[in-house]
Amino acid sequence: MTWIGEDDSAAVDVVVNGRPTAMRVPARRTLADALRDDGLTGTHLGCEHGVCGACTVLLDGRPVRSCLTLAVQAEGADVETVEGMAEGPELHVLQRAFHENGALQCGFCTPGFLMLALGLLRAEPEAPPERVREVLTSNLCRCTGGGPIVQAVLAAQRELAGDVA
Amino acid sequence: MTRVRGLVGADVERLADLPLLTGAARYVADVHRDGEVHARIVRSQVAHARIVGIDTADAEAVPGVLAVITADDLPDVRIPIRLPLADTPRARRVLQPPLARGVVRYVGEPIAVVVATDAYVAEDAAELVDVDLDDLDVVAEVATAADPGMPVLHPDLGDNIVSSYPLHHGDVDAAFARADVVVRERLRMHRHTAVPMETRGAIAEVDPATGRLTLWGGAKVKHAVRAALGEMLSMEPADIRIVEVNVGGGFGVRGEAYPEDYLVAFLALRLRRPVKWIEDRTEHFVATNHAREQEHELEIAATADGRLLAFRDRAWCDQGAYARSQGTLPELLPALHLPGPYRWEAFALETTGVLTNRTPVGTYRGPGMTEAAFVRERLLDVLAGRLGLDPAELRRRNLIRDDDLPFTWSLGAGSAPVPPISYQSGAFCSSFETLLERAGYDELRREAATRSGDTISVGVGVATYVEVGAMGPFEDARIAPAADGSFVVHVGVASLGQGVETVLAQIAGDELGVPMDRLRVDHHDTDAVPMGFGAFASRSTPVAGNAVLLAARDLRTKAAKLLGAEPDDVEFRDGHVHGPGGASCPVQDVGEGRGRFDKPHPTFSFGAALSVVEVERDTGRVRVVRHVVVHDVGRAVNPALVRGQLAGAASQGIGAALLEELSYDERAQPMATTLGDYRLPSAGELPDIEVIVLEHPAPGNPLGAKGAGESGMVGTPAAVANAVADALGATGPQVTTLPLTADRVRALLREAT
Amino acid sequence: MKPPPFAYARAESLEHALTLLDEAGEDAKVLAGGQSLVPLLAYRLARPTHLIDIGRLPGLDTMRSDDTGLVVGGLVRHHELERSAVLTGPWQVLREAAGLIGHHPIRIRGTFAGSLAHADPAAELPVAATALDASFTVRSTGGDRVIPAAEFFVGPFMTVLEPAEIVVDGRFPAPPAGLRSAFAEFSPRAGDFAFVAVAVAVALDDGGRVRHARIVLGCVGALPLRAGEAEDELMGSALTEQAIDAAARAAAAGCDPVDGPHASATFRRELVAVLVGRTLRRLREDHP
Ligand SMILES: Cc1cc2nc3c(=O)[nH]c(=O)nc-3n(C[C@H](O)[C@H](O)[C@H](O)COP(=O)(O)OP(=O)(O)OC[C@H]3O[C@@H](n4cnc5c(N)ncnc54)[C@H](O)[C@@H]3O)c2cc1C
Ligand code: FES
Ligand code: FES
Repeated sequence: MTWIGEDDSAAVDVVVNGRPTAMRVPARRTLADALRDDGLTGTHLGCEHGVCGACTVLLDGRPVRSCLTLAVQAEGADVETVEGMAEGPELHVLQRAFHENGALQCGFCTPGFLMLALGLLRAEPEAPPERVREVLTSNLCRCTGGGPIVQAVLAAQRELAGDVA
Repeated sequence: MTRVRGLVGADVERLADLPLLTGAARYVADVHRDGEVHARIVRSQVAHARIVGIDTADAEAVPGVLAVITADDLPDVRIPIRLPLADTPRARRVLQPPLARGVVRYVGEPIAVVVATDAYVAEDAAELVDVDLDDLDVVAEVATAADPGMPVLHPDLGDNIVSSYPLHHGDVDAAFARADVVVRERLRMHRHTAVPMETRGAIAEVDPATGRLTLWGGAKVKHAVRAALGEMLSMEPADIRIVEVNVGGGFGVRGEAYPEDYLVAFLALRLRRPVKWIEDRTEHFVATNHAREQEHELEIAATADGRLLAFRDRAWCDQGAYARSQGTLPELLPALHLPGPYRWEAFALETTGVLTNRTPVGTYRGPGMTEAAFVRERLLDVLAGRLGLDPAELRRRNLIRDDDLPFTWSLGAGSAPVPPISYQSGAFCSSFETLLERAGYDELRREAATRSGDTISVGVGVATYVEVGAMGPFEDARIAPAADGSFVVHVGVASLGQGVETVLAQIAGDELGVPMDRLRVDHHDTDAVPMGFGAFASRSTPVAGNAVLLAARDLRTKAAKLLGAEPDDVEFRDGHVHGPGGASCPVQDVGEGRGRFDKPHPTFSFGAALSVVEVERDTGRVRVVRHVVVHDVGRAVNPALVRGQLAGAASQGIGAALLEELSYDERAQPMATTLGDYRLPSAGELPDIEVIVLEHPAPGNPLGAKGAGESGMVGTPAAVANAVADALGATGPQVTTLPLTADRVRALLREAT
Repeated sequence: MKPPPFAYARAESLEHALTLLDEAGEDAKVLAGGQSLVPLLAYRLARPTHLIDIGRLPGLDTMRSDDTGLVVGGLVRHHELERSAVLTGPWQVLREAAGLIGHHPIRIRGTFAGSLAHADPAAELPVAATALDASFTVRSTGGDRVIPAAEFFVGPFMTVLEPAEIVVDGRFPAPPAGLRSAFAEFSPRAGDFAFVAVAVAVALDDGGRVRHARIVLGCVGALPLRAGEAEDELMGSALTEQAIDAAARAAAAGCDPVDGPHASATFRRELVAVLVGRTLRRLREDHP
């Protein structure tokens, strides 16, 4: 492969929420901006320097900051965003748990936390509560402080494990 | 008389969570208009300088750039003060122009705007705007800002003082003369601010056919922003439409009229294209209102048996470089809150707003009250230490007694004209006892003593306060029935993530006797809601909520009249109104219900906080291990939402007490401009907050609500500070400033040994 | 906060990357995990003309250990170090250090070599690597160099790397028998860059006396600082309270941190003593 010039756009093939997608982006465009330009505005930008986690998406199944990933770096990758979480009208267990546990107020941080938690519970379904809390310190929620989010993720984890809460 | 349908007072699920959970919600950055172009602000890198020249040629030459404007392109306008109460002739002389005129006065002040077809290109071009500046001396701290000989920020003001609020009650000198004990400290609350997770943003568009301007993104005080823009753009407010979209947290700083709101509107009118501006996070830290920084010289006089006699306070409150839309509130609000919930024989205070070469200051959740609570409650603990009295006992002996309410401070000659400081209802003493009891105060004290050792010191702290809320002047509401049997509630408040739609729908539904899914609350658009005062000072529930209640009653009364029945006997069902004996008519025949709730004076309500901390002695790290807040909300329409609000506010208060600081160096350069340097607490730094909601209904409003959105904040920094001071021991050096970072706590511990 | 313009190419192999680097000239940079470089671009503090993406090069993302020592590929991610079953005993310090880097999503992307090449004075891995006497293999079209950690870092965000060189791996020599290591730091919040970081590696002789000691400090100077006097305090003595206290004091006395807006020099020096003491005690207690 050769250079993408600074004024050029490149074709980037990614699978977004299961759908093969061809994005045309300049080399410098972040994955977050590219997704948002594509209409997936559920991925939010709270800082663009890697601290807040509002932009968290799953890249090949792992939570990453999409503001610190260039769109061109995602070539060939599998990208999951909050828009792909619910199955039609059926909310994901995590989404329901957030709603039921008061884990959102303004909702701006919510998509990032949902993706972070989704990545965690998939990779480590049996993560102990301390681990869940530790991973959830990766993102910031100014409205709730984050405690209710930890409770929501623990509740979802129990439900996914088949326990009746 | 409220119809019992159980909606008011129930933990009804939040409406509107669904789009937030699925990514479908639309925040301002998600709004796209055809042909939109992107604005980037060129900001001052220095704190104080004369502008010698601005060269925009290189920026204009960048392909994709449509315009570069400076102050020379604008009319000579200023952002007006929105509250008559906080508007003074002197404040009016230090209002901010949208782009700096001749002089820059803080790092981050807008100097020019670049508009380009792409946000990336706009940022490239903005870097090429060459600003030639001649440095001036800076005013970098609040305590000396008003001293003679300091550089004057606004020469035609003559000095750096915006306004002063002296308040006097009783004979202070006599009370001090009688005192057995006098304690005094210089106490400082640091600069910090709201930092919502969403930055600000705005998009403006002009309808080519009508010339009407639409602005998306304003929230909180839409109608005031519309009035301000109308004045600055010389347009009729009716020709401006402000549309609120989803908002990622407000907490007081978002949705005031800011320079950028005017700039995008001006540019949209000039370029005849939609202009979008999204603040980036480093901009946010210098552009969006800061808050809180104040220094107080406070002294308290008491008797040997712990009876408070009087206090004197002299305070300097930072305004930053300009007065913004909130005028003199940074000095007015602390003045109103310094006396707090105690029975002082006398006090004399004066708060003075001063200018410094730093980002302007506005209101942040619990404005003025949080600062006042910190200085007063901290010094009360110093006094308790001096008297050898338990801090809770000291408060217990001095809180205004339950049967002394209502209670109004009489202000003596020489006092500034301020709204009455009047506590209409509540039960301060018993509310405080409830907190102590539920938290297990005595046991906590014993535990703290036994658990403290060489490595960890445990401390317990309490703080009480009164909080102003439910500010008027009034709010209008309209309820319009639709053919399908649903009802639309129109009201002029703002949703900033507090769940206000849910609460207002509960109130309407409760009165009309219709379920939640038949109700829609519309507050997003200034076209649909011609008047409204917005979301500030915890006013949405007590003011707008009562207006909605009255509108629902009005609708019920009208329906009853139509059917010749008693209001209590009609029922809204299936798109019809049903009376007794089978009479009915389509609900649309009834017309609209209208309500207006006037609130000439704000309501004060009581609250308190209790904090338990562990201090790791060798590193100075402070951990809040328990935190309990209590607040009298008058009436909790939705207790779960109220608890969420209080807990969220308390979390912010803990961040303020331990981590967050907008510090500046001696050249007035900001030291915290990223989320790495401005440390918001995460779930790792916060305990699970315990909330106690008390309901002592407010008289004079049918709902009885007082307002609660800010209260978890107000006592929190004070309680945490008192807990840390308790952990460090009453005899050592005093905690007189925040945040209690590990570094500061170590310094205190070093001093103690 | 949008990155400035640059040209971009994804390398297919290490050789390809090196050729691209040569081609692109002085102001090109390699892009690995991007967790330091992309923020620098967003702040517009870095303005490379070209980025060469090495993030997915084959072969550089593995770790192996045998009796000649441990080799960590340049593209091994922090989260792999953090969860590696290999990194115990002598290598424990690497695992603990990696687990303290930023937050979970950052550790999923960030790479071992990226952290070394970035040379942040507050970074964990340079400190840990120095404590294990690591060397780094550095490759260019001109060939390989092996650079000891002690010579690799030359200042804050500065290394001896030439623009056309790529860090291929880190080599950790076979440890002295019984070597155990640990890492500790103080940061204001979970995931923050540390105010002080400490890596310690010690081996005891049969009589329980220290015969090998490395104490390396991070965040107190321009580069990872070996606390030579503290190490000397330990050599030849048992890990007694007195010896540990003496080493902690010596480490604090031997460094010269600067005052910062978030942590004063005095505070940092206190933290050095606290963390050195705690880490040595932990090593003693974990393996009595
Ligand atoms: C919010 C946040 C918190 C963080 N906290 C910490 C922390 O606490 N501790 C810490 O150490 N780090 C922290 N980091 C940075 C993180 O660890 C980075 O992963 C690491 O510093 C760089 O690795 P990278 O692979 O991402 O490198 P990149 O960002 O891709 O590159 C960094 C630099 O190294 C160069 N480079 C990369 N790979 C090579 C190579 N193989 N050969 C030659 N040059 C190379 C690049 O050209 C660039 O100059 C944090 C980052 C963020 C965003
Ligand atoms: S926007 Fe990506 S971490 Fe904040
Ligand atoms: S819900 Fe508002 S930031 Fe988390």
